[in-house]
Amino acid sequence: MFDLPVLQARNPIIRWSYFVDEWDQIQAALQQHIELTVIAMAIGIVVSSALAGVALRYAWSLPPITAFSSFLYTIPSVALFGLLVPYTGLSRTTAVIPLASYTLLVLVTSIVDGFRAVPAEVRDAADGMGLTPRQRVLQVELPLALPYIVTGLRIATVSTVGLVTVAAIIGQGGLGRLILDGLRRAFWTPMTIGASLSIVLALLLDAATYGAGRVAMPWARRGRAS
Amino acid sequence: MSVVVVLQAAVPRDIGLFEWLLDGDTWTGRAGILSSLLDTVILCGAVMATAIVLTVPLATALAHYRKGELTLTWFVTLSRAIPTFAVAGLLVPIALKRGWGFEPWPIFLALLLLALPPIYLNTYTAVRQVDQGAVDAARAMGFRERDVLFRVELALAMTVVLTGIRVAAVQVVATEPIRAFLGGDGLGRYVRDGLGQNNDTLVVGGAILVAALAATTGLAFALLERVVLPNGIRRLQSTQTR
Repeated sequence: MFDLPVLQARNPIIRWSYFVDEWDQIQAALQQHIELTVIAMAIGIVVSSALAGVALRYAWSLPPITAFSSFLYTIPSVALFGLLVPYTGLSRTTAVIPLASYTLLVLVTSIVDGFRAVPAEVRDAADGMGLTPRQRVLQVELPLALPYIVTGLRIATVSTVGLVTVAAIIGQGGLGRLILDGLRRAFWTPMTIGASLSIVLALLLDAATYGAGRVAMPWARRGRAS
Repeated sequence: MSVVVVLQAAVPRDIGLFEWLLDGDTWTGRAGILSSLLDTVILCGAVMATAIVLTVPLATALAHYRKGELTLTWFVTLSRAIPTFAVAGLLVPIALKRGWGFEPWPIFLALLLLALPPIYLNTYTAVRQVDQGAVDAARAMGFRERDVLFRVELALAMTVVLTGIRVAAVQVVATEPIRAFLGGDGLGRYVRDGLGQNNDTLVVGGAILVAALAATTGLAFALLERVVLPNGIRRLQSTQTR
């Protein structure tokens, strides 16, 4: 593909001056990466909350909902991006639909598991104390389901950050763009930076989600693992 | 083929998908579907074989001696979240610098990393949960420790181990197409070429091929699970789930 000896001669794995010289590019890529992750996660959370709500209300609907989410999950990312291109072109929409679809399985499962883990006595007690169904769900069941949901959110966030890089194949993809551009120009520095930063970003967002969970569940800070 | 017809009807304008898939030239030759498919299958097969050889004996032994609970939780967190594209992207420059070339080491290692967690996880948990009575009975019958490990514990855990292998295989096959975007070929090449040439027929056709292979892999391994499983264990399961 390229003339390797020439490439190897003066092409370091990472050239640190790139951070200074091309900071604008790195920053733009990082920003797009975060935007795509946040949008996909937001849509994923809304859709899977709705699906989980239906599944919890009507138990018979859980198997088809799980089957549907697993079906989406098993479609290869390259294929799903490709299949959408004739409809939505090389747009952000084409990137977001698959990214959001892939979060459904993990999120729906974790929400359903979380709410199912709420002991029936607790639910009865809440009813007995005169809470309305809405109050019971929001003030009693949701907090008790949170450990499961936070775990699901962490997995979904980390894998979304990883999958955003693949969206580079349709011209989106944030840090993934740096990887592909670097490869196209046979210049290793952007590849290394794009790949490393996307891994660092995944770890940071994971830590942030974990931290947010800790703040939301002050009672879980001692002992109990989430 | 009916899938193709439905998709053809669903696509906004006629992109000649059917013609492309039915054209003999699409399938033969160096850039043909058959040789690309072979490329993909060989790489994925090599990844899976390596992953199984590395993981199953190790996880069985560790679970037998109840060692490495920590690595287990670590694998749980990891299994869903490996950014294969980034890992491969990171490995490409390193491989080239070392003179290993574009292919197949970066993508091989990245896919291997993807395949290890589900197999390890399932093997470890399944072996750990094997009925202690069966293990003790085997010991009392004079089984050597190694036979207890592989002929009793691993055999009883086999269903779950095979499920782990299936999950890993589907993920590997589904992720392998990114190789085409990282200086390689394989079945992902049509999506890549189509995107490069602004040719929707290639993009959609290639995407269908990639998705079909992933679906076929899942089905094939599900079938394999039924064939490979010893009769005794199948009977055992049907009594357990009664």
